[in-house]
Amino acid sequence: MSTFVYMTRCDGCGHCVDICPSDIMHIDETIRRAKNIEPNFCWECYACVKACPNHAIDVRGYADFAPMGHSVRVRREEEKGTISWKIKFRNGKEKNFVSPITTKPWGKFIPKLAEGEKPNQEEINSQRLYLEPEGLNTKKELPTVPKESFKKGVYY
Amino acid sequence: MLSTNPFSILAETVSPIFLQWFVIVMVILVAVGTLLDIIYKKNVKYFFENAKKAKLSATKTLSTGEKISVISKTIVSDIATTSELGAGKRRVAHLLGMYGTILFWIGSVIMIFCYSTPSSDTPNVWPIIWHAGAIMTVLGGSWFWFFLRVDVYSEAQPWYRIIKADLFVLALLASALFGLIWSFLQSLNLNNRWDDKLFLILFIISNIVLFGGVYWSKFAHMLYKPGAAIQKNLAEADGSRDNLPPPADAPKQYGLGIDREKAKHY
Amino acid sequence: MAKVKTHYEDCDVLVVGGGMAGTGATFEARHWGRDLKIICVEKANIDRSGAVAQGLYAINCYMGMQWDENQPEDHVRYARNDLMGLVREDLGYDMARHVDSTVHMFDEWGLPMMKNEKTGRYLREGKWQIMIHGESFKPIVAEAAKKSADKIYNRIMITHLLMDESKENRVGGAVGFNMRTGDYHVFRAKAVIVAAGGASHIFKPRAVGEGMGRTWYAPWSNGSAYALPIAVGAKMTQMENRIVLTRFKDGYGPVGAYFLHLKTYTQNANGENYEKKWYNQTKEIVGEYIDHHPVPTCLRNHAFIQEVAAGGGPIQMVTTEAFQDPHLETVGWENFLGMTVGQAVVWASQNIDPKYTNPELTTSEPYVMGSHATCSGAWVSGPEDLSPPEYFWGYNRMLTVDGLFGAGDTVGGSAHKFSSGSFTEGRLAAKAAVKYIEDQKAENIKVTDKQCEDFKETIYKPLENYTVGRNEITGGTVSPSYILPIQGLQRLQKIMDEYVGGVGVNYMTNENLLKRGLDLLNILQEDLEHIGAEDYHQLMRAWELKHRALTSQCVTEHTMFREETRWPGYYYRGDHMKLDDENWHCLTLSRRDPKTGKFTMEKVPVYHIVDDEKKKKAS
Repeated sequence: MSTFVYMTRCDGCGHCVDICPSDIMHIDETIRRAKNIEPNFCWECYACVKACPNHAIDVRGYADFAPMGHSVRVRREEEKGTISWKIKFRNGKEKNFVSPITTKPWGKFIPKLAEGEKPNQEEINSQRLYLEPEGLNTKKELPTVPKESFKKGVYY
Repeated sequence: MLSTNPFSILAETVSPIFLQWFVIVMVILVAVGTLLDIIYKKNVKYFFENAKKAKLSATKTLSTGEKISVISKTIVSDIATTSELGAGKRRVAHLLGMYGTILFWIGSVIMIFCYSTPSSDTPNVWPIIWHAGAIMTVLGGSWFWFFLRVDVYSEAQPWYRIIKADLFVLALLASALFGLIWSFLQSLNLNNRWDDKLFLILFIISNIVLFGGVYWSKFAHMLYKPGAAIQKNLAEADGSRDNLPPPADAPKQYGLGIDREKAKHY
Repeated sequence: MAKVKTHYEDCDVLVVGGGMAGTGATFEARHWGRDLKIICVEKANIDRSGAVAQGLYAINCYMGMQWDENQPEDHVRYARNDLMGLVREDLGYDMARHVDSTVHMFDEWGLPMMKNEKTGRYLREGKWQIMIHGESFKPIVAEAAKKSADKIYNRIMITHLLMDESKENRVGGAVGFNMRTGDYHVFRAKAVIVAAGGASHIFKPRAVGEGMGRTWYAPWSNGSAYALPIAVGAKMTQMENRIVLTRFKDGYGPVGAYFLHLKTYTQNANGENYEKKWYNQTKEIVGEYIDHHPVPTCLRNHAFIQEVAAGGGPIQMVTTEAFQDPHLETVGWENFLGMTVGQAVVWASQNIDPKYTNPELTTSEPYVMGSHATCSGAWVSGPEDLSPPEYFWGYNRMLTVDGLFGAGDTVGGSAHKFSSGSFTEGRLAAKAAVKYIEDQKAENIKVTDKQCEDFKETIYKPLENYTVGRNEITGGTVSPSYILPIQGLQRLQKIMDEYVGGVGVNYMTNENLLKRGLDLLNILQEDLEHIGAEDYHQLMRAWELKHRALTSQCVTEHTMFREETRWPGYYYRGDHMKLDDENWHCLTLSRRDPKTGKFTMEKVPVYHIVDDEKKKKAS
């Protein structure tokens, strides 16, 4: 499948080129707008579709098995924390979905570990990771298994 | 120098009729180039067929008044301020170039048709507009050329790589730059020094390339883009929206995530 | 080509790959190594790179210890059972005991987790899975990595690891190239954590045109997780344990939520529950393993494959009942939109509305990775408190090369990690890597300019091959002196498909086929010296192929070594069509000699650190 770019909407901003995990969104040399240079390496991940500020990118299902006439379009709104989908079947049936994409302001509650409290030697020597064992919410220590219970199951 | 009309000085050696015919030929070249583009690529046919198809998904019919309102808003915002480019350098550079070119061309036409004899008393405003327009075009265009072209910015292509898509902006940049240099050198009264006529010739050639290359360059896109913007806003207003889902009904409370960064991560 | 610029970067912890495991490693490394220089190098853009590019609709590994839902030993039993007895239980327990704290952090960072309205707990999809609205899962964890790292490098593909020239078998860093600028990048590091992608596209996919792109596992997972360690002589384990998935046809959309939350079920074209029909036949192959609850993934695949081969297809997922409930219908669609949009596209294009039509299922082509219902990967040390002495050599998640660590798909033996477990494994590897450095184990590493220059020449050779070779022909893609990356890839895929058990042969192979496959792979390796790349994008494709080819050789060697059919439904050894616990209840290990390219194979014991539970009900 693959993504394609609408001539009338693309203005050559480069966001799709920048985000594509497959490195297949590139700039056409005749019109300086984006295009998909390798549709057979397109995963239909919609990263470029969501990133385009002008909604200039759309998807046409893989020609191997997807008949024409369908439309699955998306609007990702970071400030509202929502993603909206509109699915149109080949026969015209329509489905719409809206989901949240975050519950908190972007990045605000992600810590800068460099500024947090330094681990002490006991924590370093232990098996605990950052924020453990409190972060497990179990009010217990990190679980472990006594070595006496190890059983060798090997048949050489 | 900025308030000297270069065309009236030129008229001492070249008859104004030639200057005026040159302008008329350039306009004809644009018209022919655009028409050929439309006829062979059938892009206008596609555009109107597509708009008709899109209207089928409209959820409401717009009244004439509503249509006029959308079109006016499009002209004022999308077209006049290039709002499609969002906030940032690309938009500023485009506005510089766009208005620079408009002033440059209007100034050219006025001076060539109204004040093109050696004895013309040109009001200062017109040469100032002409030179200012050329300077703005050079600033916006070269800013775009060296730093902002997406193939240079996002794909790390070297700034000196020239592709077919560069035909329009390079010719425009050349025409404004050579026009300025020509005007400057001409005002120095160099008589027959080697560079006296050189930049005039380069100015003429760059204009021929610019206006004659319409069929192969992005020139005509300048004329199509406003139409596309109007269609897009009408589609948004009548609910068809190119099959996109409508904006979500939710408050803007989370700030920006990926979008807060520039489109350059290499 | 203009002269290539070289950039040197010296650092302490180098994380190769910025996916779930890589972001976990980068994030955690800062906590333990406050003053260390931490660099993450990512082939694409860390905001959307890796298998979680489109998002996820469920976190498939969450214990819920805080509510006594599961304990780590339960997960070990589950993973062990699913992998027919063969996992690294120490690694699995270690991952399971920490994963809850990872998930709680995700919640804190803003990942929308669905909640059970009655209990207030995370909404369970199944025993191990909780449901999320994870469209932005990747950007959220990427931000955590960005806040910890000194620098994140994007668009740089790491092609080789550097080795210390003063001390044998110790890693010294990594090298690669920037696919935008074309520059050469040398990263000299004290510890390297490989958190790259597993292998998709080594077997011929079911769709071979544009549809090639719709693999179940991301097409940009090119096996760097394996090729990088294999090339420096690290030991690999269970590389024969490839995974085949039963998913919705063509789009490979996920079925987990369907089975567990929507309670849909499968049937053959005649409306029969076909799985029961194959019980006896399966029992003949695997014995009592078919009686385990839940039925191991591969055995369910096996019944599917047998039924289709016997003419009972197409197999369908019965959705018409569940989809009558509007809530379940929404979950059914959003499940795709947040995770595999392509499936929604397929259904929209074919007018399949699950409310009225039962969609088809299919079994996929094989993939090799380490974080799902499979555990191929590098042989690593476990944690000190959980590992038998044979499994521990100083630092958790360290490979058999000093200073080289792994996380996520890279690590073999720790199955059923999924996203949260891979992120957790990254955290474990990071803590251990920092300890390795603080213990002064990475002193006086010597990486000469010569080693770097040699790699530089190797890396850019495909561009040279193309430029020079192109002079021979007028144009087109056919050249007698170089092959293009796509040509090499299609050849690799055909070899693996026909000789190593792909879909074209119904997952069947035997020693004769494997031997022939190895011969053909060797010839391909020779030809890969003549791969030609037109530009930096193609150069990236060329190196992806090289990593895939090396991974494939390792997979084939392992498949030949294990003389039994341990996982029917993943693949079959036609010459050993039974599960053989007497001889093969062990893990396989390989090591490729970096100088000769020869693989040596060995068996290592499986240690059961958790015993069987009495008669546990199906999950």
